[in-house]
Amino acid sequence: MGRQGAHWPGVVLILILAVVVISAPAGRAAPAVEVSIWGGYPEIAPIYQRAAEAYQQAHPNVKVTVLTTDIRDYERKLAASLPSDTAGNILEVEAPTVERYIEAGLIPKAPPDIAQFVRSRSFNASAQEAASVGPDVYGVPWFAGVGALYYNTEMFKEAGVAGPPQTMDELMAVAKKLVKVDAQGRVVRSGVSLRLFGAGSGVAEKFAILMWPRGGELLTRNAQGKYKAGYDNDAGRATLKMHIDAVFVNKVDSLDIKHDAESFELGQTAMFERESWVIGDIQKNAPTLKYQTAAIPRDQRWGTIVGSVSLYTSRSAKNPDVAWDFVKFLTQPQFERQLLQEVGWIPLRQDVNFDPVIAKFPQYKGFLIRDPKYVYWSMPNIKDFDEIETKLAARLVAAYRDATLAGNAAGIANVLHTAAGETNTILKRDGLYGE
Amino acid sequence: MRVSRALMARYAFCYLMLAIPTALFVVFRIIPIARTLQLSTLNWDLISPAKPFVGLGNFRELLLDPNFQLALSNTTIFAAVTVTASVVLALLVALPLARGVRLEGLYQLLYFLPFVAPTVPEAVAWKWICDTRYGVLNYLLSLVGLGPVSWLTEPRATLWAVIIMSVWKTLGYNMILFIVGLRAIPAEYTEAALIDGAAGWRHFRSITLPLLMPTVLLITVISTIAAYNVFTQVYVLASDIQGSPAGLVRVLIYDIFENAFRFYRMGYASAEATVFFVIVLGLTLIQFRVLRSQTE
Repeated sequence: MGRQGAHWPGVVLILILAVVVISAPAGRAAPAVEVSIWGGYPEIAPIYQRAAEAYQQAHPNVKVTVLTTDIRDYERKLAASLPSDTAGNILEVEAPTVERYIEAGLIPKAPPDIAQFVRSRSFNASAQEAASVGPDVYGVPWFAGVGALYYNTEMFKEAGVAGPPQTMDELMAVAKKLVKVDAQGRVVRSGVSLRLFGAGSGVAEKFAILMWPRGGELLTRNAQGKYKAGYDNDAGRATLKMHIDAVFVNKVDSLDIKHDAESFELGQTAMFERESWVIGDIQKNAPTLKYQTAAIPRDQRWGTIVGSVSLYTSRSAKNPDVAWDFVKFLTQPQFERQLLQEVGWIPLRQDVNFDPVIAKFPQYKGFLIRDPKYVYWSMPNIKDFDEIETKLAARLVAAYRDATLAGNAAGIANVLHTAAGETNTILKRDGLYGE
Repeated sequence: MRVSRALMARYAFCYLMLAIPTALFVVFRIIPIARTLQLSTLNWDLISPAKPFVGLGNFRELLLDPNFQLALSNTTIFAAVTVTASVVLALLVALPLARGVRLEGLYQLLYFLPFVAPTVPEAVAWKWICDTRYGVLNYLLSLVGLGPVSWLTEPRATLWAVIIMSVWKTLGYNMILFIVGLRAIPAEYTEAALIDGAAGWRHFRSITLPLLMPTVLLITVISTIAAYNVFTQVYVLASDIQGSPAGLVRVLIYDIFENAFRFYRMGYASAEATVFFVIVLGLTLIQFRVLRSQTE
């Protein structure tokens, strides 16, 4: 007993110290306003962080927190947190995804001064449209995934090819010169790496990028704003034939080798189509790779895809005026240039001079073509689009490995006709179909 | 009859202790299942407050959905092969280990390690093992004169790659359960059988296997439920750009996940989950009926 009693003064002393520490005034005043920004592209987090620090210096009463996760997790996080009003204050959202949230009233309209900024000459029409629904502006265009053709300049030199292909026909002709096979006739280096397999919608998106110059599109929109499949036609058939011929007839690509950015970085393909983030990826993984980028080859039309991401506020944002002020701060030229140089996504402000970045990384040229004939087109912003693309992708993947489709025009037509039927059924289910 | 206060307190304590896990079970199992059943009759996109009632519409659509049919077929093939192979192989491995062999602990560790290791890094390692050009699997096949197999690009081969990896992963767990079951067989039975001249295969068939049937039942039920829940291996091995025929190796959980969290069709995904629940419940009941009759 006596021993236990001897501990009391020590315990009392610790308690007093704890109370003093807890109740002591902080070294500096706690920020009065907290703003959070959420995103699905972790590679952008350092830019957000830098902007947050700069903003906090200018506004000491504001604390900006940054939370980024990978895109699929982020989409699920948004789906769970927006309806329950627990989402961040500022949200990065892709154009096709945002529509459902706006429809449900979870993302409010931007205030008039922000709407005016978006409608200004700082953004082109496509970017403005991506951040708006009809006449109403909901977000500030931030960056875009723009497609371009990557090509390995050393392989081109070695094969005696002067420059990147200008037309879709040239694409295959050049690929034939660039492909390498081993003694057993197996492709060890593809002339062009097409998206022949993979999860989700990417296969259909890449198909659409190569079909668009031929006049096709995944969905065509009528005057009433309704949609139907736009690939069950000559453009779609020619594009599917090109993929099947690439594997089974011309053998410029193979199902058994690596594809996409990894393949390009490993020197296992001479050409492929991708967004600008690959430039940053190459800096990290293959800094000695000799390559350039070019416009997507033309056919009946000339252009590339733009997948826009804009910044919005959630309806539950407690300090929307501060959130919008930070969005405006973030879209200043210095952060836009950092986004291009350090991350590789294409910033959407068109009034910013990116020449210093392009001088350092000329590969960005292929993504910033200013030719008025070069069209930057977008996929439709409808809620069913991911399902439509994903289901078409599954059919395309099956078709790309079907050798019986080589030289089989009727078979190719049937694949696309059946797929288009499925697309139209999904549109009809949700009242979005129209001839 | 008078019940003492102490007995009452004991009863109260017992009921309280039973009530806590029951409440947790109701909250985390029964209510979500009931909610899933309810959602399966609605058309809900996870976001919109409107949830129109569609009756059995989701189930009707499901029956005609080629993706669901493919997922069901792939999952059933996967479950049948994985459960059979992992049970048979685990028993073959457990038989010598249960008797006690040299370095028994090391063998058990080696077989059990894949089960406790996280599935995602294992699946990433298997992607390299299954690589068509540089993978160990094709190298081993080449040693016996078999040609390269496109393990991660050919849909059928990819399903087999997932099966091989899953058997490798679950073998150790089943083995441990079998070792426990084998060691629980009373030594008198074995001694009596040996005296009667039953050894080797006859001893195994007439003594060991019948007495091991409760363990076989347990492992089969657990393995079947786990096999029908396959997702991670398929997601990692067969769902990214580099290695995959993507949708062609879809399994039920993948399909439910895609409908719910990519296409935002919670009602439809719930209908799919309900069908999935009924299938697994039915299979479990069949296994209980068939295997239990052999244990009695």
